[in-house]
Amino acid sequence: MPVDHKRINGPENTIPYKLYTKLNVKSFKEALQDAVKNGVRNDKRKLDEHRRIFMKTDIVSQAKGSAYIEIGNTKVVVSVFDPREIPNKNEYSLNGELYCEFKFAPFSCPKRRLHQQDAEEKQNSIVMKQALEPAVCRHEFPNFQVDVYALVLENDGSALSAAITCAGLALAQAGIPMFDIITSVTIGIQGDLKLLDPMLHEETLCYTSINKNSKTGKNSHGIVILSLLNTHQQVTEFYQVGSLDIDDIEECTKVLTEANKVVVPLVEKCLAKHVIKGVKESSQ
Amino acid sequence: MTLSEAEKTFILHGVQENFRIDGRNRDDYRPMELETSIITHAFGSARLRLANTDVVVTVKVEIDVPFPDRPLEGKMEFFIDCSANATPDFEGRGGENLATEISNTLTAAYSSNSVFDYTKLCILKGRKCWKIYVDILILECGGNLYDAISIAVKAALWNTSIPLVKSVTIDGNNVDMNVSENLSDCIKLDISAAPLMVTLCKIGDHCVVDPTSAEEQCSQGAIVVAISKGKFSTVFQTGGGSLHPLTLMEKLKLGAKVGNRLEEALSEALSKIKENGEMGFLN
Repeated sequence: MPVDHKRINGPENTIPYKLYTKLNVKSFKEALQDAVKNGVRNDKRKLDEHRRIFMKTDIVSQAKGSAYIEIGNTKVVVSVFDPREIPNKNEYSLNGELYCEFKFAPFSCPKRRLHQQDAEEKQNSIVMKQALEPAVCRHEFPNFQVDVYALVLENDGSALSAAITCAGLALAQAGIPMFDIITSVTIGIQGDLKLLDPMLHEETLCYTSINKNSKTGKNSHGIVILSLLNTHQQVTEFYQVGSLDIDDIEECTKVLTEANKVVVPLVEKCLAKHVIKGVKESSQ
Repeated sequence: MTLSEAEKTFILHGVQENFRIDGRNRDDYRPMELETSIITHAFGSARLRLANTDVVVTVKVEIDVPFPDRPLEGKMEFFIDCSANATPDFEGRGGENLATEISNTLTAAYSSNSVFDYTKLCILKGRKCWKIYVDILILECGGNLYDAISIAVKAALWNTSIPLVKSVTIDGNNVDMNVSENLSDCIKLDISAAPLMVTLCKIGDHCVVDPTSAEEQCSQGAIVVAISKGKFSTVFQTGGGSLHPLTLMEKLKLGAKVGNRLEEALSEALSKIKENGEMGFLN
């Protein structure tokens, strides 16, 4: 999207009031103890349990295909538009392309997001593109690009995973030829704890090492996002940030591959519903 | 550069036989050349030449205000300039996507506090901190940018000296600092855990390390792993391919092995660099 230089973004040095509240005084260790008690998380989930997921297709009437996903409080809308010629390109490309744009709505996070894409959103767009491209039969539309826009309405953790799963659904609904259903799941690691489908506060806990200076505790920490084509058992994107050793990663990959299998039937069901609706409408 | 099908098959067969077009094994690097403190106005700098890939990294340090939610930490930012000298593809805004991809991956790789200690950059809690600007200039592009850049960044940070702050005085709202004028009074950064990136390029059924640009064109996708002290700080899949979970694990193990080897080689090379060595053609 072209950058709008005329837009006034408001003072940049504003900060959320929460930094001044008492909650913020908590140390990471206390926050972690609060987040997980006896293997049960704040929302009464087990460590390896998904939040409740809701999906719906055909949300945006102007788009070729669109989908909406809710994972707990995380809400994402993805719309997919008709293929168009790749702009500003001289060479003919044999494979079609996906253009992905990942955006947090200004009100989606505790801190207000600006209108322009920031570094995190750009990175998420790149990850999303890499995750989706192997799922799409790009040879079917040479020299054309399909635009995929993801808008996060509310971010309560695992927003990127939600966007990828949702984009897969929207692409399928748009009638873009695909090899398989694409799903994505996030896991957060802090020390020995592995939190599947983390919420926002759990995600923040996983970004920094808590046991850094203590010799005893395990100081692994990080976030892993794995996108999978389930029938083909192909990982299209493996994205990890933090500090993990190979054993952690191996375990995470196993957990995430299994976790993706849980999401697949939900996507299938949603697509089937869409088809049935289409058939009913055309027979009337 | 575009390759014909026959050339691609040739490269593919070479990789299968573990004998690549330049005679290397699948997990060998091309020869590297590393220079440090090449730019006088920078606080630290390094130039790395990896066969045909040439990058210059400079480090500038300036004073900034810490993030309000992390008052005890300094900042670090990466900027990449894909100059059109490197390859004609970078002309205009051509290199922009690649530049954001690399700088974001670097930011991700350096984000953890077990990789780089940001609290060392704090001068006064919530008021003053050092901000490290890492500027990367790509002079020539001969494949394997990630590895080359990460090595050069680590060398440049190793080379960086931060001025010593002797005292900080607070007068009402004003913060005044007394920075040592003596050039030898400097703090060196601790970069022992700074990550090195290894690109694993999948060609046919095998993975190659340090791909040339011709090999990059034959690849069905690549994984970039950032290794810091034997641990993964970032893993990122790129290049449009997909992998079986088991293949993925195999590649990651290979990446960790190669990364550790690379780290040993780099620290050995850095230990050989003399303090205050003269640089340039005139010496």
